Amino acid sequence: MRFGLFILGALVALGQQRSFVSCPIVRDTKTVPCFLAEYEGELYYLGIQQDITSAFHPPQLKHEVLVEGRIASDPGAPRVCGGIPLQPVSISVLKEVNLSCNTLLPAEPGIDAPAAPRGPGPSSLHRTEAANPRKTLTGRQEFTVLYAFNDDYLEFAANAVVTEAAAYAKQIGASNVKVSGYRATTLLSNGDRLVEKAGLAEKRAQNIATLLRGLGVSSTVVESKNEPEPGDGQTDPSRRRVTIVVAP
Amino acid sequence: MTGWVGLCYLYERQPQNIMRRLFFIAIVVLVFGIALTLSAQYQDRFKITWIEPGSGALLPEFDAFDSVEGTLGVLNASGPVNTEGHPFFTPLGTNGRACVNCHQPTYAMSVSTAGLLERWRTTDGKDPVFAAFDGSNCPGLPQEKESSHSLLLKRGLFRIPLPWPPKNADGSAKPVEFTIEVVRDPTGCNTSREFGLKSAEPTISVYRRPRPAANLKYVTSGGQPIVLKTGTLADVDPETGKPVSMNLMTDAREPSLKTQAVSAIMGHEQARVAPSDPQIQKIVEYESQVYVAQQAHIFGGPLAVAGGPPGLGVAALRDHRAGVLGDNDYDPVFGSFSSWKGNDYYRSSVARGADIFMFRQFWLRDAAHINSIGLGNPLKRTCATCHNAQMTGQDLSAGWVDVGTTNYPTWTEPATWADSSELPVFKITCARDADPHPYLGRVIYTTDPGRALISGRCVDVGSIVMQQLRGLAARAPYFANGSAKTLREVVDFYDRRFDMKLTDEEKEDLINFLGVL
Repeated sequence: MRFGLFILGALVALGQQRSFVSCPIVRDTKTVPCFLAEYEGELYYLGIQQDITSAFHPPQLKHEVLVEGRIASDPGAPRVCGGIPLQPVSISVLKEVNLSCNTLLPAEPGIDAPAAPRGPGPSSLHRTEAANPRKTLTGRQEFTVLYAFNDDYLEFAANAVVTEAAAYAKQIGASNVKVSGYRATTLLSNGDRLVEKAGLAEKRAQNIATLLRGLGVSSTVVESKNEPEPGDGQTDPSRRRVTIVVAP
Repeated sequence: MTGWVGLCYLYERQPQNIMRRLFFIAIVVLVFGIALTLSAQYQDRFKITWIEPGSGALLPEFDAFDSVEGTLGVLNASGPVNTEGHPFFTPLGTNGRACVNCHQPTYAMSVSTAGLLERWRTTDGKDPVFAAFDGSNCPGLPQEKESSHSLLLKRGLFRIPLPWPPKNADGSAKPVEFTIEVVRDPTGCNTSREFGLKSAEPTISVYRRPRPAANLKYVTSGGQPIVLKTGTLADVDPETGKPVSMNLMTDAREPSLKTQAVSAIMGHEQARVAPSDPQIQKIVEYESQVYVAQQAHIFGGPLAVAGGPPGLGVAALRDHRAGVLGDNDYDPVFGSFSSWKGNDYYRSSVARGADIFMFRQFWLRDAAHINSIGLGNPLKRTCATCHNAQMTGQDLSAGWVDVGTTNYPTWTEPATWADSSELPVFKITCARDADPHPYLGRVIYTTDPGRALISGRCVDVGSIVMQQLRGLAARAPYFANGSAKTLREVVDFYDRRFDMKLTDEEKEDLINFLGVL
């Protein structure tokens, strides 16, 4: 009976999206800490402490977090750090301070963090210069800068996108660089909708245009769509964005 | 004396054995006697070598300044410096000051409270370093009174008057995200009708330590077009148009050594006429070639010796490449100290301190511009995570961080602002549509808003640019607000702030490590 329920639950959960707001939970381990979040009585694994260059930027105690992630498609997948892994997962730290978000669990025997490229101390990885792995770009190109919810902070990876767009625009002597800003809606798993604040689309676009000009791109056209993009509860993080279209 | 404490503590950990104890006591007495003798020699040789502006002294290529801690090395990498007529050593303004007043080689190109007190007594407070404009708590105070200079004499703090709201390069007002109120004003300057926030030219006065004008190739290296911590464009050098490190000064308000020199001459020296380009060039050339570091320690002996830790001493600073990340275990921030492990009591302690600095994990929490830039809160890391630049221990990226020294409740002042803080206290209220301070929210009490006074941003309140960690023993007190009289107080602050749970031995090791840098 219990096994049948488990199978049923696993099938229901298969490929399911989870979008929710809650306090993050930090669990210490022998190595790096794990970041988790609880929703409707279930614990979800978000990721581990990594470096600034990582795609996963952990949440923060003292802040609620908007979690948008997909439950791993393999129903037999083991829990990680005690939580159901969400992959891919988008993390947005909500700006207002919430002192009740303050759970730091001690390390426990049997709960280990996944292997980390970098441990909790100094790095052991020798930095090597990348051998220019970028593909050669030609013609009209679109670059997309993604943001956390209600945020205009340019994360490390987004920084690289802007730098690449500027380099390309300068390389081809672009006559037209169009910067378009958007704000979006998130459809939560409980049916609620979170809408990014008004004015954010323009602020995002203006910030990127300022960066491009500072990086030597003079011919920018800036536009923004203040109407929030709709949310579908599946792909919402991809609509919190600025696009940079570079045309020869 | 810190090493002496460590020595005794180390022995407490040895097996109890009467013969061994007697032997140990004999050794201790012998070592202590030698130390006292050396100390007396150092004291005899120790002269406060205060360079007066216009004195025309010739500075040698290498100079050594002794103190009770040992010897500070000062290296002029370009050779001897003739100070006669040199703009760094010549008053260019109206108050008799020159750059050297606040950047004395004796004090690691900064100035210590010990030196300032001595100078007050020697000159009866007439030295231009005590100029009313910023060498006193407020220009309106009776200047002949020692109490009017208490922040400088007790904490080594100069008044830094900053316009509010901050201004762009073209003189226009920057947009700001918060209001600022003065809630405590022990110096009287922030509420002064003449000098304060409600004066004809609204001004905020904060009080800060002068930073060492040395080892500057490290401080100015590493400029990137986009600031990692803010996702915005870095300031650029107005002369070259290239992005700058934004690690100069407490609040990164000046982009280059040249602009800093002009600003200091027009401000601290109260010049009426801007310095000439050749004068600025000469100042920058001097600053760019001078290196300071602890060269010998009374318990550690000579520090820069073959086979020893490679990062110690001024020659290492001269020769090392700038802009190198040292937050790793194969080429650490200040080089390897492994050759000192098991060497002797003091050197072993230093080596352990280096390991603590590099490897001792603790929970870094609630530090704006560390935890808030995508690393997570809390972050299980080490001192070297933030103090990551090789040879200086600054941050390789633009280094302003709110580690908590100026903001309530973690600030270095008495527990509540109603008590007897010597510093002004400001209340910051962030606008509703602005991002709040990531860990303190929208209402913040602070003794120094730091970078926020330049950027106008709430997230920057209390953020202070990290300082280099060289020549520390020669230039107490520490922190930008001069609140830590000793390195012990620095270590105690971090232990308390991040709940590091350092043992007494670990604290001693860290202090000994910092003392040889």
